[in-house]
Amino acid sequence: MKLWMLFIPELYCLLMGVVFFGLAMVARPNPRRDYFVALLLASIGVVVALASVKLEGSLFFEAYRVDLFSQVFKVMLAMGFFLVVCLCTELNGIEERHHPEFYLFLTTCTLAMMMLVSSVELLTIYVALELSSYSLYILVPLRRGYGIDVEAGIKYLMVGATSSAVMLFGLSFLFGVTHTTYVVDIIHVLPNVIGTPAAILGLLLTLCGFFFKLAVFPFHFWAPDVYQGAANQVTAYIASASKVAAVAIIIRMVSLVGGNSQYLVDVLVTLSIASMTLGNLVAIVQKDMKRLLAYSSISHAGYVLIGILSMSPTGYASAIFYALAYLVMNLCCFLVVVKVAQDGSDLKIAQLAGLHRRSPILAMALMLAVFGLAGIPPTIGFTGKFLVFTAAMEKGYITLVIIAMINATISLYYYIMVVKAAYLLEPDVAQPQLAVSVPTKVLTASLVAVMVVFGVFPTYLLEVARAAARMLL
Amino acid sequence: MEFANFPFLSAILLSCVVGLLVILFIPDERKMLIKWVSLVFSGIAMVLSIYLFFAYDKTKGGFQFVEKVLWVKSLGINYHNAVDGFSLPMLMLTGIVLFTGVLTMWELETRVKEFFAFTFLLVAGVFGVFMSMDLFFIFVWYDVSLFPMYPLIAIWGSTRKEYGAMKLTLYLLAGSALILPGILYLFVNSGLNTFNLVTLMQPGTFTPFQQKFAFILLYLGFGILAGVWPFHTWSPVGHVAAPTAVSMIHAGVLMKLGAFGVLRVAIFLCPEGWQYWAQLMAVLATCGIVYGAFVGLAQTDLKYVIGYSSVSHMGIVGLGLATVTVEGMNGAVFQMFAHGVMTALFFSSVGYIYDKTHTKMIPELGGMSKTMPVASGYFIVAALAGIGVPCLASFWAELLVFISAFKTYPIRGALAICALVVSALFMLRVVQRTFYGEKRDEFDHLPDVSFGLGIPRMILVAVIVFFGLFPSVMIDVIQVASIPFINGLP
Repeated sequence: MKLWMLFIPELYCLLMGVVFFGLAMVARPNPRRDYFVALLLASIGVVVALASVKLEGSLFFEAYRVDLFSQVFKVMLAMGFFLVVCLCTELNGIEERHHPEFYLFLTTCTLAMMMLVSSVELLTIYVALELSSYSLYILVPLRRGYGIDVEAGIKYLMVGATSSAVMLFGLSFLFGVTHTTYVVDIIHVLPNVIGTPAAILGLLLTLCGFFFKLAVFPFHFWAPDVYQGAANQVTAYIASASKVAAVAIIIRMVSLVGGNSQYLVDVLVTLSIASMTLGNLVAIVQKDMKRLLAYSSISHAGYVLIGILSMSPTGYASAIFYALAYLVMNLCCFLVVVKVAQDGSDLKIAQLAGLHRRSPILAMALMLAVFGLAGIPPTIGFTGKFLVFTAAMEKGYITLVIIAMINATISLYYYIMVVKAAYLLEPDVAQPQLAVSVPTKVLTASLVAVMVVFGVFPTYLLEVARAAARMLL
Repeated sequence: MEFANFPFLSAILLSCVVGLLVILFIPDERKMLIKWVSLVFSGIAMVLSIYLFFAYDKTKGGFQFVEKVLWVKSLGINYHNAVDGFSLPMLMLTGIVLFTGVLTMWELETRVKEFFAFTFLLVAGVFGVFMSMDLFFIFVWYDVSLFPMYPLIAIWGSTRKEYGAMKLTLYLLAGSALILPGILYLFVNSGLNTFNLVTLMQPGTFTPFQQKFAFILLYLGFGILAGVWPFHTWSPVGHVAAPTAVSMIHAGVLMKLGAFGVLRVAIFLCPEGWQYWAQLMAVLATCGIVYGAFVGLAQTDLKYVIGYSSVSHMGIVGLGLATVTVEGMNGAVFQMFAHGVMTALFFSSVGYIYDKTHTKMIPELGGMSKTMPVASGYFIVAALAGIGVPCLASFWAELLVFISAFKTYPIRGALAICALVVSALFMLRVVQRTFYGEKRDEFDHLPDVSFGLGIPRMILVAVIVFFGLFPSVMIDVIQVASIPFINGLP
């Protein structure tokens, strides 16, 4: 096997980017052609990522490691990308002549995130992170004139740039303390010096950059506006794939400590509780579906952190599982958002009224997805929460688990409001049936099946997650 | 993997799950077909659960009909079903209430498919909790049985249905917010890496402190669903808002889920915690009994009356469990069964009256025994059972609980018995005002319960009378579990 083959998923992404770049050069816009090209390429991308899941090795002077941990996340990213492309049948939120660019930047963002999960050198991490951020900075304001898109774009850029600056500052501390930028070396040095203020400060400031991606409190300010302001498909991408990559890199960074820093744990516990509570409480008053999902994502960032701060292999495995669960559930929610708001506008929760009549399958998918987000069995969301809480409990954080469970109960209120809108309320003006095409039905059904089947039979995914987590240590 | 010659317990679960799937694939318009499918599958579940009750080998005792499949190895989770003397009455109760509930909703016309689909999901969860021997599965089934309540009440209910549904769901899931940490606490501290209840309940697995701590989490968590005072406020509101069959299943079976959870999880795993907290349990239970009786006295809505009497009756279950005696446990489990059947009958007959007259306010009714003699008859039987008239099932249950409570906690026992007199008073007042007295002409044209619609009520009456006349059939089974358990206490 040649060394370059380790790089195949990324190379493939690059190739896709080139194709879309070429399409962007063509003078006459043709949305259907763009869509089918994207769909075809993205589905091959999933296959490529799956095929390379067993690869192992390192590249670029040890700055880049390919192992099960990174490959599992690459599969998730490729799937996330594919599913988001599936939602683009009516890409009405974005002007037709910009469609190739839209796909292009989605691709570069996926590429960057794939690189992010494989990077084991601080500067490479930084470059990958910035590439993904810059792609998103462009994607957000790409939306067709709603006015709010520019505000969202600027907000995203400002918060993102600030957190990048903070992160670079943190990286400099880390380098100063450990005299290396290689994660492999840091992992040996850092546990010995983690007690010193410079090391802990450096690590925390570094984490800030990733917390921004994950929308952890206090770096969450961008989330509601960006979710609402970006086109629905872009939001779906930010909410799913981008979060998964952030989880991966946070796991990577936290695992550097080797699990013996009470101070770091305290900080993460605080952030986790603050994220959950803030996200859940503010979500209660939201009227816009995407804003609601934004606040729910803030609270879910808190739940993921619980798994990560357990700093044990089971904890990391539970966080990986949770990330996957979150990806599926969230994409299922966004599928409904995209299909109900077919003109590409924002979706008010009230607009879901009568959905059970307009499209029973979408209503059912929405109900399962939001109950999954709320952590109700037998969905994958429950299994994720269960694993995360078990990991925390093994470390004896019972108060944290109780607080998280109370938060899950609070969150149930607004999730139920969504279900209520879909199943109970009737629209003021009679709405026509939603035309749901057969491929969409298949997609919805398979997402629902994944949510339920892996919720009931988690063994396989759990073993994969555990094997991936073992790669870190 | 371990299987009895025929997996009866899984068959019960499957009858619900398959029923659910079949219903999902029937088009909405085929309402009759959906009802028949529901009836058939609920009938299978009922027959199997009754069969199990009588097929259980009382001389051998212990857990029988064991089914065990490894589920998640790394976490020690097994799909593990078994029954003992505590769970058999509950399974039978669920089977009966489900079947009669389906029959009671025979006249439902709006969104039939969704109604029965949600109902089967709910009941699958209930069966699952009663038969599961694995903490993980108990929790999963427990939550599965809770969340369908929201749509069931909010879509088909009445009287502030959305408020009632939301309150109920949030309360109950707040309960599970205490249960899951409790379960995980026990799982982690056992050091055995298993969720298996039978393994974990070996004496010496947990220190006394751990037991005390976990017990209070689990007791409060499950207690919310059991309507333990002061966490009962969701229950009357929820019962009133729910449609008839859901009220039946809910008050009849779902509240028992809470009490059963206290018994199966909290008491089984933390017996020392149980003895430690028994005083508190007795106080809360007595408060519930007295409070339910007095508040019931002031209600003018028939369903609220039943709702508060449920709080009172579930207090009796709690009091029985708090005595830490064989009689007390027997009485508590018997009361769970008796109360379940009785409330189902209550809600079933009130549901009929409400469907026809469109009111359940006591002052607006009156003289119903003349317009609807049969429907009134069913209600009156239920009321008599509620009062604790001899020859009806509740009598024996209440007797057992009160005798043991009086021995263990004389003052609280006496208070509870006094409250029983109050509850007799309010039941009789309700019966007198609603069914006797001045006949109202506006209800004259309304039809009485037909034979077909009467079948579910007849089944329930027959069960109440049967176990009232032959209480030993029930007590013998419960004893098989309770005597060894009490003797095995440290």
